[in-house]
Amino acid sequence: MTFQHAIEATDLVKTYGTGPTAVRALDHASLSIGRGRFTAIMGPSGSGKSTLMHAMAGLDTVDAGSIRLGDLELVGLSEKKRTLLRRTRIGFIFQSYNLVPALTAKENIELPLRLAGKKADSGWLLELATTLGIADRLTHRPAELSGGQQQRVAVARALAARPEVVFADEPTGALDSRASTALLTFLRRAAHDLGQTIVMVTHDPSAAGYADRVDFLSDGRVVDGFDNPTAALVLDRMARFDVERDEVPA
Amino acid sequence: MIRFAFAQVLAHRVRLALTVVAVMLGVSFVSGSLVLSDTAQRLFDDQFATATAGTDVTVRTATAFDSGMGVEVERDPMPASVLADVTALDDVMTAVPVAKGTARLQQQGTDLGSFQLTTWVDEPIGSYPLLDGDAPNRLGDVVIDKAAATTLGLSIGDTLTIAGTEAVDARIVGLAGFGDSDGPPVGSVALTTLATAQEVLTVRDGLSEILVTSDLPVAEIQSALADELGSDIQVATAQDLAAAGAEQAASNLEMLQIVLIAMSVAALIIGAFLIANTFSIVISQRTRELAVVRAAGATGKQVLASVLVEALIVGAVASAAGVALGIVSTYGLRALARTFDVSIPDGDLVILPRTILIAVAVGVAVTVVAAIGPARRAAAVSPLAAMRASAAEARGVGRFRVIAGAALLAVGAAGSAAPSFGAPMLLLGAGLVLALVGVVMAAPLALRPVVALVGRAGSRTVPGQLARDATLRAPRRTAATVMALAFGLALMVFVSIVGDSVKTATGAQYREVISADVVIESAGQEMLGGVHSAVYDEVVEIAEVGEATRLKYGHWKDGKTTSALTGLDPDAISTVARIQMVDGDIADLNGGGVVIAERVATDRDLTVGDQLPMTFARTGEQQLPIVGIIEDRPAQALQTDYFVSLDTYAALFTEDMDASIFVLAGDETTPAELTTALQAELRDHPTVQVRDQAAVIAGRTQTVDQIFGLVTVLLAFAMVIAVLGIANTLALSILERTREIGLLRSMGMSRGSVALMVQVEAVIVAVAAVVTGLVLGVAGSFTAVGALSTIAPISIMIPVPQLFVIAGIVAVAGLLAGLAPARRAAGLPVLEALAHA
Repeated sequence: MTFQHAIEATDLVKTYGTGPTAVRALDHASLSIGRGRFTAIMGPSGSGKSTLMHAMAGLDTVDAGSIRLGDLELVGLSEKKRTLLRRTRIGFIFQSYNLVPALTAKENIELPLRLAGKKADSGWLLELATTLGIADRLTHRPAELSGGQQQRVAVARALAARPEVVFADEPTGALDSRASTALLTFLRRAAHDLGQTIVMVTHDPSAAGYADRVDFLSDGRVVDGFDNPTAALVLDRMARFDVERDEVPA
Repeated sequence: MIRFAFAQVLAHRVRLALTVVAVMLGVSFVSGSLVLSDTAQRLFDDQFATATAGTDVTVRTATAFDSGMGVEVERDPMPASVLADVTALDDVMTAVPVAKGTARLQQQGTDLGSFQLTTWVDEPIGSYPLLDGDAPNRLGDVVIDKAAATTLGLSIGDTLTIAGTEAVDARIVGLAGFGDSDGPPVGSVALTTLATAQEVLTVRDGLSEILVTSDLPVAEIQSALADELGSDIQVATAQDLAAAGAEQAASNLEMLQIVLIAMSVAALIIGAFLIANTFSIVISQRTRELAVVRAAGATGKQVLASVLVEALIVGAVASAAGVALGIVSTYGLRALARTFDVSIPDGDLVILPRTILIAVAVGVAVTVVAAIGPARRAAAVSPLAAMRASAAEARGVGRFRVIAGAALLAVGAAGSAAPSFGAPMLLLGAGLVLALVGVVMAAPLALRPVVALVGRAGSRTVPGQLARDATLRAPRRTAATVMALAFGLALMVFVSIVGDSVKTATGAQYREVISADVVIESAGQEMLGGVHSAVYDEVVEIAEVGEATRLKYGHWKDGKTTSALTGLDPDAISTVARIQMVDGDIADLNGGGVVIAERVATDRDLTVGDQLPMTFARTGEQQLPIVGIIEDRPAQALQTDYFVSLDTYAALFTEDMDASIFVLAGDETTPAELTTALQAELRDHPTVQVRDQAAVIAGRTQTVDQIFGLVTVLLAFAMVIAVLGIANTLALSILERTREIGLLRSMGMSRGSVALMVQVEAVIVAVAAVVTGLVLGVAGSFTAVGALSTIAPISIMIPVPQLFVIAGIVAVAGLLAGLAPARRAAGLPVLEALAHA
């Protein structure tokens, strides 16, 4: 079972601030992401979802613990090495698309590859664009695209370098329900058909319903998780967080 | 809305700080130049008031006018008998004889500079109180002003030579002040006994002035003396002297004032670009906020008004600071002007309410006018913009603006080029201004290809491409940043090309016309020359001299203005200069009359045979027949437009000084040998210099160098602000793109690449400014030199190495301007940048 997991976080600790006002964002959080699977991370606000994702993506550092991307230990890696890592081994999809307005759709898609100084695989890019339905939009600038189209360009950009893991941060947050459905369907296909490992942070139970697995964070710890979630099951689990929270004595 | 405007100013104080600095600089130039000229004016007035405080009337030789071209006319010494006539009058209490003139002090062969040499008069009639030592009472005793003694490191007991037309050995016996200060506001003074002054000035027993006091009211003693002494002698009151002094002061300061006012205008134009930029930056930053205000019910007019009030506040604060800075910097300006040998008087500053009013009004007006464009854009923000995610500045540039700009540029260019083909000179200035306005209007579009071209070099890399796109994203802002720098650069280029062309033309003209090997001139900068007539007599005796001829300069009144004329030997002049005539012959001057330059003949429609009315200080109005018309080129090489023979000169003027002596080497002698021989022979005349062609040309182009130096330094200040404008624009560009930078970093762009991206942006702006500035400066100087060529033989000279240096400095400055923003961009934390709204 060599590298059955694409990325594996163990006992991550991250504290913001010091003294009485210190906030422990990650409190011995451990999470393994299966290779080629579409994993959703859920949890109430302030549970540490974003911090965990940023740490695993090499965007942020942790105080203690281990993050293994394949055979590489991320914790303790220099800023410079993490920067280089982000170019090709990790992909991102943001809630607010985050396309570079000055570049065309195609240039945006090729951006990580160009930063890495690599030649884009044009066949692969065309396949991505076609699958995502943006093949005829490649010469347009972001301002000339709809929200759904912009997000699909962002997805293509994340997948362009065939990274080991793609992280998606609330990717459907800014989309209407039709565009959301299309996007989530594509992410699921990318995992199943192309073997792309995808980690999605979301607070939308119906989005989580498209994933192969859902893990739940609470108070900086992974507290629960199950395979083949449905929107109803996720909603049910989330409701219990609210109850648990209400039971905590003030 | 006014409270809203105040709140805005406070909220954006850092960004507005640059605006303040830009306005401040322009205003400080304005107030500085006003203070400086008021101060100078008052000092001249004070000087005359102090100098005449103890005297009721001054008796001196009458002249038709008192000063010309900033120089007091030379008066003939009065015979000693006048003193007797004055003393004979019953009502005269005291009558003190004075001989005065200019002399140079020298110490063991070292020249200490030019001094006003005058006769020691005890207080209260004299205006130089003795501060230390004794008053002079023997031949060779000298008292100098304490300020000069301090500057030159002289003290009582030091021995000197006082070199006038005659050199006299002297010893410092005392130090004097002037009024309440340590010395006169302009220049230095040396005081001796009457006999010493008379010997140095070789006037025998002649007197320059007699200072008279009386019991009678001033008007009565004045008329009594005037009746007694006749019309050859003038009896002047203190008021008469002060009026003459004021006139002299005004023309002395004219050039400096013109330079300073031109610089104020330039600084304000550069300031206006930066003001417009800062306001459009601040407004685009708060589009959302403006939209909310609009949605809350504010009308577009109210938004417009609030932005203009904001400009008013900024303008007022900056102008107030500018006035203060201007006053303080006056000290610096004085030092600066002195570095370039432009003389400015010392003393307490005169700050008139008018100065403050004008400076503040100009500063506020420029700020508000520059803010009109951004304010109108702010007023046009729709309430709906509040709902949009982001509202970047429009990428497009109004078609009307571009067409109007191009039209203005075309009209302006045609207008400024027209004088080259004989149109009136006035069109040059108007055309250049119009063309500049056109360039500013069309710049956002016109600069696009320039920026694109400059940016192409680096666009193969991601940082390069992004930098280029960033500069094209807000074309107006980029254009304003580029133009602020380009304008300053264009002015520098303009001044250096026109200056170089004038210098080269002067030199070429001189070489072409003057064939003399050596010219003997005074080392001092006497307007009319200060070579004693004895020098000529010695020169003609020297074996190495083949031919020598003297030139004399004189002033005369031409209606209201003062002109200069040259007295020359009509026969000998042709041996040392190539005299080309349009009509008549220079030798015709032997029979009297005047030769005029071609351009004067054309302007005033004069021909040979006409009578020219000329007013002379000593001989009054005369009618001189025009006997010839000389070409402009030789006239300019000889430096005046009017020529008379030395005999005519002697009849019109009583000055005995030669302006210069033109010398040709003898047959067996080289110019170098001639120079050596002359220098050896003229050692006794320390104020006389033997100059070869190169030295004469350098002397004649000195003024061009002075103006160029002064303008360059002043412009450099304005350019520093323009460079800071790049940093400001970049800082904003980064602020606007914070999230984009976060994104690029998240996708693996290194800190170095981010810094490079910003740096490239700075370089693109700087290089675009260099290109634009060079083009504008060179084009402008072509039209200016073209226009000049219609009145003087001049062709364009482009000092390429000098331009390279200027352009290089600007490019490097642009690079440096990018450093801080680049560092800031590189240092942005990724996650926070991504979260930036």
